[in-house]
Amino acid sequence: MTLVLDMLTTAAILYGVAAGLLIVFGVMKIINFAHGAFLTVGGYAALLVTHLGWNPWWSLPVAFAIGAVCGAVVERLVMKPLYKRPLDAILATWGLAIVIGQCITLVFDRGVQFVQSPLTGAVDFLGTSYSSYRLLVIPLSLAVIALLGWMMNGSRLGLVTRAVIMNEDLARALGIHTGLVRLATFSLGAGLAGLAGALITPLSSVDPNMGVPWLVNAFMIVMVSGVSLVSLGIACLVLGSAQVLVSTWANPILGGLTIVVLAAVILRVRPEGFARG
Amino acid sequence: MAELTSNAPTAASGSRSRRLALPAGLALAGLALMLVAPEVLPTYLVNTLIRAFLYAAVAITVDILWGFTGILTFGQSAFFGFGAYAAALVFTHAGFGPGLALIAFGIAIVGAILLALLVGWFAFHPGASPLYGSVITLVLPIVVSQLLYSGGNFTGSSSGLSGFESFDLSLEAWFRIAGVFLIATTAGAWLFLRSDAGRILEAIRDNEQRCEYLGINVSRVKILLMMACGAIASCAGFLFACVQMVVAPEYAGFAFGTELLMWVALGGRGTLIGPLIGTLLLDTSTSYLSGSLPFLWKLLSGLAFVVVIVALPQGLLPALASVVRRAWRRDAPASAAPAAEVELQSADPRPLVGLASAGRLALSVEDVHKRFGSLQVLRGIDFAVRPNELLSLIGPNGAGKTTLMRCIADGAERSSGTVRLNDHDIRRSSPAACVALGAGRKFQNANVFDSLTVAQSMRVARTRLERPSLWRRDHALALPTAALEVMRATGLDRQLHVASRDLSHGMKQALELAMVLALEPSVLLLDEPTAGLTKAERTLIGRILLDLTHSHTLCVLLVEHDLDFVQEISTRIIVLHQGQIVLDGSVEEVVNSDLVREVYAGASAPGAHG
Repeated sequence: MTLVLDMLTTAAILYGVAAGLLIVFGVMKIINFAHGAFLTVGGYAALLVTHLGWNPWWSLPVAFAIGAVCGAVVERLVMKPLYKRPLDAILATWGLAIVIGQCITLVFDRGVQFVQSPLTGAVDFLGTSYSSYRLLVIPLSLAVIALLGWMMNGSRLGLVTRAVIMNEDLARALGIHTGLVRLATFSLGAGLAGLAGALITPLSSVDPNMGVPWLVNAFMIVMVSGVSLVSLGIACLVLGSAQVLVSTWANPILGGLTIVVLAAVILRVRPEGFARG
Repeated sequence: MAELTSNAPTAASGSRSRRLALPAGLALAGLALMLVAPEVLPTYLVNTLIRAFLYAAVAITVDILWGFTGILTFGQSAFFGFGAYAAALVFTHAGFGPGLALIAFGIAIVGAILLALLVGWFAFHPGASPLYGSVITLVLPIVVSQLLYSGGNFTGSSSGLSGFESFDLSLEAWFRIAGVFLIATTAGAWLFLRSDAGRILEAIRDNEQRCEYLGINVSRVKILLMMACGAIASCAGFLFACVQMVVAPEYAGFAFGTELLMWVALGGRGTLIGPLIGTLLLDTSTSYLSGSLPFLWKLLSGLAFVVVIVALPQGLLPALASVVRRAWRRDAPASAAPAAEVELQSADPRPLVGLASAGRLALSVEDVHKRFGSLQVLRGIDFAVRPNELLSLIGPNGAGKTTLMRCIADGAERSSGTVRLNDHDIRRSSPAACVALGAGRKFQNANVFDSLTVAQSMRVARTRLERPSLWRRDHALALPTAALEVMRATGLDRQLHVASRDLSHGMKQALELAMVLALEPSVLLLDEPTAGLTKAERTLIGRILLDLTHSHTLCVLLVEHDLDFVQEISTRIIVLHQGQIVLDGSVEEVVNSDLVREVYAGASAPGAHG
């Protein structure tokens, strides 16, 4: 039972981390390698909330807001000239990740620090005792899915965004301010990364490089799931479960490789991944 | 062989030796420096430079892959780490000796080549996107370094291996070995990149699809390149382990892989000297400055990297060079750079693939269907074409004309049915393999190599028939008569040194046609070759096409909208409507039928059911 819960919570965490990356990739066709750094920023936002002595629940909205602001600044300063050069954008965002990481190191020092969890203790769930905070991640992720799903499919912003995804030139010709859509999307993606960072820090700890392993896993998951929120869910469940199984039965280091290797093989065999092709 | 344009051979060889003089002088100066430098420089700097030399050699392989061929790779560090661990593992567990060192070196090279083969099989399979290729090169160092972490006592886990015995050589000797290795790598790369074979790399970077349709097996070229670059990087890693006598998983990791990319980007991708100088300067200054300003230095270099990628994508050194050149030009207008002379010659005619006897079919299409999901684009297409026929495909937009062309030139395209080129079933062959069977496809929009000149493009088009040299430039360019005729008729032969991107639209169309003809195809597939051309250019191309079918054993399949043009040059016409053949006959039969008028008026034709 613990194993099943591990699988579900891992999938939920991965979903939270990958969602922002997917949104940016879907709309802009750009891989944001600074996603891991935004995640780290979110983690340190949570740390800040702890230091200020606020209620730990505040860390989530604060992390989202700080992430979104960082994202908006980066979009204006760095991303704008790179839309025509997607491979260069990967490099520039990676450089940016280094810059953000070093800034955090200069301010907060490079050591590992801990954040207060908003929810402590364990609960009995179907006869198994399980960390209540890990369980809480599942409904939170579902809420993110629902909110994003509504934004993309039920709101005017989503309609406009989908128009930009399908045919940017036509959208611009129809009077849609595509630059604004890009700005909003990138900043939303960065905000989600910050939120995810705040979400996962109570489970582990914060350090300036905490984002990197998450970035790589999230990146591979986005690659296999195409641009759909549903296939992203499937990819997180399948690959997350595989990771938990390998970590439990083989060893954790191989477990850490599971997502990366599996995703590479899946894409080799079926280039469209989990997307309906 | 007939010479069409002639150049004084002495002038050509004279300018060639002048072009070789500067790089050869640089290499000699470098070698001389290797002799003197270790005696005068402080020990710490010598030590740092040995490492920087080896890193620079790896950076050059990154530059060849990324700057010249367009493969963004994060993975060269994995090959470096592989070579380093090959030495460290053998020396730690089996001991050190000349024989064992040789074995370790063999493992480093052969292992790296096999690893590159595996990576290439993943990253460059036909149809892989460039992004997927980069993803695989990203996965590689992560997997390799994690395996090293999890290797326990065997690999030394996170602390790596150290304290093993190695060659007993002085620091000065190592400095010279590493320096000579770097000079040899650079010189080899320089010769290769400026050779005729080097142009293929640029062609792949510019336009992979066109390469594939010129019969170049792009996947194989990339895999071979990956293997060579992997072996060089592994060799550098091997030397590194021998000098430093310490290895750690970080040397195989993703962070080091991206650091290599940063050096190449800052120095100037697509040049050799840029990444070389970039790596030497950045790595040396890092080892001096990271002590006093540990985090700030990394912050500043990251910032510089972002700024260069965004604002100066060609890198610092080329940007600096162009500033200097502009300042220089203002004082004294430099003489125009002497372009390498190219002599056009006519190639010996060779027997066309499988077309020896008349009466055989050049192309046969049997019951070909194409579906996109539930949408039927082609249904049951059946026809055959003999040599010397100029068959036009006409029909309204969306009738499936271009799709049919695609199904003939790429075996993976059709959903069902059989296509035979010169009596060979194309099965599921790649476009390159279809070229080998005799297909030559010209695309609807001019599809050329932007940064190559006309002469270079034609040379790349001849790759399949004449293996280009890996280390020198041939100054004779032999082309089949048909290609020469197109070039002469359109004046391309007077623009041999003009970059393709600077040609007019009509000239680009003509260049693409000439490139396809240089393949000596027996089935020529032309998709609206005159779209966007003036009346005069159109007549010219029409005349060439007619001439080609009459005087060469060639069949032409032409997609056209302009009925007058079609009427003028075709020997036979097929009318496609809603994915089916509704008429197949002589020009008079088709043009005078009521059906064609109806189809062209947009009304649905009898016999074509939805």
